[in-house]
Amino acid sequence: MSQAQWEQFICRACGLIYDEQAGDPDSGIAPGTKFADIPDDWVCPLCGVVKADFEPYDHAVPETTVATAAQVFARGLGAVIVGAGHAGWAVAEALRVLSPELPITLVTSCQGDRYLKPELSIAMSRGYTRDAIVQESGREAAQRLSVRLLAETFVVGLTPSLHQLRTTRGTVRYTSLVLAMGAQPAALSVLPSRLCWRINELSAWSALHHKLSTGPKRIVIVGAGMVGCELADDFVRSGHQVVLLDLAPRPMAALIPVEASERLRLGLEQAGARFVGSIHVASVTEVQDGSKIVTTQCDQTFQADEVVAATGLVTDPRIPMGAGLAFERGIAVDPKTLRTSAPEVYALGDCVSIEGAPCRFIEPISKQANAIAHAILNIEYSGYAHTQPVIRLKTKSMPLVLHGLPLAEGEWETELDSPDLLKMHQSSLGQVVATLEVGQLAGRKRV
Amino acid sequence: MNTVEITPALVSDISTREVLKAVTDISNTSLADAAYRIDHAGHYPLDIMAGLGEAGAFAAHLDRRGANFGLAIDAMRAISRNCGSTGFLTWCHDVCGLYMEQSGNPALMGEVLDNHAAGKTFGGTALSNPMKTFAGIEKMLLRAKKVAGGYRVGGALPWVSHIAAGQYCGAIAGVYLDDGSASHEIMFLLRCTEDVVLRQCPEFSGMEGTSTWGIRLEDYFVGEENLIADPAKPFIAKIRAAFILLQTGMALGVAQGSIDSILEVEPLLGHVNQFLHERPDELQAELEDLQQRIQKLAINPYETSKDYLIEVLDARAQGAEFVLKASQSALLHQGARGYMMNTAPQRRIREAHFVAIVTPAIKHLRWEMARLSKQEMPA
Repeated sequence: MSQAQWEQFICRACGLIYDEQAGDPDSGIAPGTKFADIPDDWVCPLCGVVKADFEPYDHAVPETTVATAAQVFARGLGAVIVGAGHAGWAVAEALRVLSPELPITLVTSCQGDRYLKPELSIAMSRGYTRDAIVQESGREAAQRLSVRLLAETFVVGLTPSLHQLRTTRGTVRYTSLVLAMGAQPAALSVLPSRLCWRINELSAWSALHHKLSTGPKRIVIVGAGMVGCELADDFVRSGHQVVLLDLAPRPMAALIPVEASERLRLGLEQAGARFVGSIHVASVTEVQDGSKIVTTQCDQTFQADEVVAATGLVTDPRIPMGAGLAFERGIAVDPKTLRTSAPEVYALGDCVSIEGAPCRFIEPISKQANAIAHAILNIEYSGYAHTQPVIRLKTKSMPLVLHGLPLAEGEWETELDSPDLLKMHQSSLGQVVATLEVGQLAGRKRV
Repeated sequence: MNTVEITPALVSDISTREVLKAVTDISNTSLADAAYRIDHAGHYPLDIMAGLGEAGAFAAHLDRRGANFGLAIDAMRAISRNCGSTGFLTWCHDVCGLYMEQSGNPALMGEVLDNHAAGKTFGGTALSNPMKTFAGIEKMLLRAKKVAGGYRVGGALPWVSHIAAGQYCGAIAGVYLDDGSASHEIMFLLRCTEDVVLRQCPEFSGMEGTSTWGIRLEDYFVGEENLIADPAKPFIAKIRAAFILLQTGMALGVAQGSIDSILEVEPLLGHVNQFLHERPDELQAELEDLQQRIQKLAINPYETSKDYLIEVLDARAQGAEFVLKASQSALLHQGARGYMMNTAPQRRIREAHFVAIVTPAIKHLRWEMARLSKQEMPA
């Protein structure tokens, strides 16, 4: 079969791409297996979504020309993208597909290497190294897409009225600006960054990976939300001793009901992690031998070789607010065009908020990028349509799938309670607003 | 009967306008006339500086005058608009006053500071090397040793401005213990007495009238009456943003002067100048934006948060980039007229280069902003 006939399919939940040519040998799918020939019980190797949740991935070739926007770039400045995560590169790809000539500059504080961030919370137990996680180096991607890459460059200021972005490598002017700068782990003074890891990007993961590579370690994870639970599962499966702490009495308390939390806790504990709820961390200190002591307000202490803070993400308001952009828990964007309150400034991904709510998942990013690329090039487009992404907890010990957006005060009803699957839903005004599946069969059976 | 209530805010508003008017008058007359002599022939304009001091140009930012950094920067801008060298002398003088006042040392805060703030005595700053040392760029050049009643300091600094015999400057030395190990740093008012050797500097391409000298110290005694801070580091952390922010007045003024030069030839050359980029309206828009940001930062000059410091560094860096662009544009707009040695556009090219390379230079500012922007991780 010739190369041109291989197709790719993208996981709607996590963005993983199934490439027919490469197959999925880890799951027993040989290279060269057509997507149609994959058994129906095959699941996404990254997030566990079923085959039906994949869709064809039109990895459109940049030659497809629609050159209608020349006048927009009369001044030759082009598009400037801030951030080289999935969102930043997705915009670069989408723009290049639509316009082979548009000058594109990508500014990033890291090297710009491409990888899927959700992999960071399952990578240790799979034995991945940094090299295995990186799909394409920043330099290669920049070359392939004809993008000027300003790596290891920090943005320090933005003046939309002058179309001026100020960086640590000088001032960059733009015709259109795309902010894809992500969100930062919340800084909490009781969890000083000098002592606590925050795993939100590859370099931090890589540094922690290096620390953990010398043998089993004692790890305390503060925060039992999605990332905390996934990391706990991943670390414990990698042979480390894990204690997972949270303010709430149970894991993922903000999102799922007691019954589901209980299953998750049991799953994590059976895998070997210990959950301690209803605690406030009072301090983290370092002792002589380099280990850390986590002390709670109720005077419990936990000794660890490494402490990981998984206490949520926030969008740093300094640049957007300094530039006068509307900001509400993130850079406020138009839900259809992803435009910010300033002309010619767009934003997407983890740094935005849509109708006041941040949406920090990988799934919507390609669609947001496409909407932005069309808006920048002034090409008619139906626009981005925001829907709540499917949440899949990649905890092998207790998979969990959540559709919809549950209400904090809503009542959950149990549909099925078997050892392999707990199925619940939440209704509001006669409509199902959220469904939840917990257990080894979660997400694998359709009702 | 209608009466106007005189509020403290109104009083300060009136005095702000008066100071700025008096400073602008001097700048537009005697200073504008002397600018070429200062820049090229090395005339050190202490007579004009005295007048500016009397007009209130060097006092506004001091706590005793309500820490009006906005006015101090505006005054520096008005001065630099006609002479970048004198704008720089103003900054040197301003920060020296700030060191004295913030020292909390009564010996430096009474009449000594009154005279300094009024331009009756003069002094500058020798912090280029220590500032770079604290940023991890250079090694400390002055070394001190504790002795009874104070310190003994030795070492040499390559160029220190706005000093002369009988004048003074703020300086920092690293303190070493008897076993040769580094202990901490001290900051002190270095008085240019006969114990201090002032060495002639090589000729610079411009800004010759800033009275810039090499300093050599041998066993120079610093008594407690001249100590500004011991240890120096917390003091520097406190005044750092204010020190850098004040410098922005130079960039604003030289850039405004450049726009003046463009507009000056517009009636004559506008028909061809329209083909140039960086036109006066574009430059003015950027200048206004920068000016507004700086005035906002000037409200809390002693804030010590990382975000604030980045904002200040950003404004200072943008000022340096902008003044390079504006002065270059002014020369292009004026053509041969501005290329003559004694003209303002030609002089401003050199002044702009100075703004871009004086500590903290553009490269240092970017280095520091990158350092501050990095996410900290466990070791």
